[in-house]
Amino acid sequence: MAARQAIQVGTKTVRPVLSLDSSEARSRVLSLYKAWYRQIPYIVKDYDIPKSEEQCRAKLREYFVKNKDVTDVRVIDLLVIKGQMELKEVINIWKQKGHIMTYFKPTEEPKPKDFLSKFFSGLE
Amino acid sequence: MGLIKKTTGLMGLAVNPNPHHTLGALYGKIIRTLQKMPEESVYRKYTEQIVRERAAVLQQTKDSFEIEQKINCGQAEELIIQAENELNLARKMLNWKPWEPLVAKPPKGQWDWPPSKA
Amino acid sequence: MSFTLRTINVGRNVARVLFNKVCYPVSQTVAYKSDQSQAENRPTVAKLDPLQKSQLIDFGKYVSDCLPKYVQKVQITSGNELEVLVHPDGIIPALQFFKDHHSAQFVNLVDIAGMDVPSRPNRFEIIYNLLSLRYNSRIRVKTYTDELTPIDSACEVFKAANWYEREIWDMYGVFFANHPDLRRILTDYGFEGHPFRKDFPLSGYVELRYDDEQKRVVVEPLELAQEFRRFELSAPWEQFPNFRGNPVEEVTTADPKKE
Repeated sequence: MAARQAIQVGTKTVRPVLSLDSSEARSRVLSLYKAWYRQIPYIVKDYDIPKSEEQCRAKLREYFVKNKDVTDVRVIDLLVIKGQMELKEVINIWKQKGHIMTYFKPTEEPKPKDFLSKFFSGLE
Repeated sequence: MGLIKKTTGLMGLAVNPNPHHTLGALYGKIIRTLQKMPEESVYRKYTEQIVRERAAVLQQTKDSFEIEQKINCGQAEELIIQAENELNLARKMLNWKPWEPLVAKPPKGQWDWPPSKA
Repeated sequence: MSFTLRTINVGRNVARVLFNKVCYPVSQTVAYKSDQSQAENRPTVAKLDPLQKSQLIDFGKYVSDCLPKYVQKVQITSGNELEVLVHPDGIIPALQFFKDHHSAQFVNLVDIAGMDVPSRPNRFEIIYNLLSLRYNSRIRVKTYTDELTPIDSACEVFKAANWYEREIWDMYGVFFANHPDLRRILTDYGFEGHPFRKDFPLSGYVELRYDDEQKRVVVEPLELAQEFRRFELSAPWEQFPNFRGNPVEEVTTADPKKE
């Protein structure tokens, strides 16, 4: 409390969540990715999911790439924290097979985006 | 009076055979920690006042039952716990320095109630 | 030995310090207001004690003088409840002061609550309710934060804060720094979102159903059979009945420069 840490976000000086600059945030993200990557063989074995390790790795990559454009260090920190909480739930087998399978979203059909598909499905 | 307390009646709190000695030592430590704070801090002033009053009671009598009655804030063992807490707090206050002026005013509209519609 | 405490208290002695609050002996009668209006004579309305109110106001002034660095405002509601509004950096010093100081001794943490007011600059408010068994009184300590600023965890001061802070993290998304084990406590394991936020809809974003092909429960985006209808009529109930005649009073110190 005596020496208050502060980081710059845009023009404001704010209190950091965990990392002080973007390189530290980047190293946190990469270590989280490595932890998940190394846990994948155990996920496939423990939860007995009908997916191969290759598909799991592709899904992991997809989730990390989805957030690649985030620039604010504090947002990156919070996303990493949430990822670490999810990893802990997976490692300790608090989650169940159904929870792991929701990551793959098998029953969701992609919503039509262009005009013609929307017209055909009657959603406009 | 040769009363010896058999039990405090509280779970987990053992009877102290010589609370007068412990309390005296603790109050001395508290006073010495408070001396390091600036004179004008209200916390120092009133805490010193409380501690000196209780130490004065200790000077008058060595009987623990009379001490409990005069200070009127629970048993001697509870007084020891309160003094330990106060010492802990005083040491932490030296780091936090709460007597300085306000660190930051609240942003405008922060504490309004009922909240007006944006 | 609370019995001895009560009987000793009948003859209050000089050793009580200026701002110590007095334990109420069993035989004390509550002060009646002789000119009560008709509405307040009903037996179910709580009788307010002006002595308790003046003691709380004195204690509020004492607190704001002891911690001028962190205490931004002190309020007292019409129901004789003292509220101390603190800057988020000073929440740990304030809680430690309330727990350890001789004339405070609020050893019991009753609850940590969160509140979301989206129109404010710092939308979340964290509210700590404390109880003092020694002096039989309660106090409320409030701080504020927004979505991305962490608050120091109160676990080192009060062990009970552990689950309450986990609940606030789960429901609002307020991160607590130095918490021993911050994870979700009430929502399901894969749940995304923070339900108590005002922008989280009543129906949620996902629905669950059992799928026969997958032979398990699947999570899908929400599809309501009927669109969500909201009737923007003004409610027949008065919106803020408690603020009709008794607004929250601010406790001001003698120094006119302080707020």
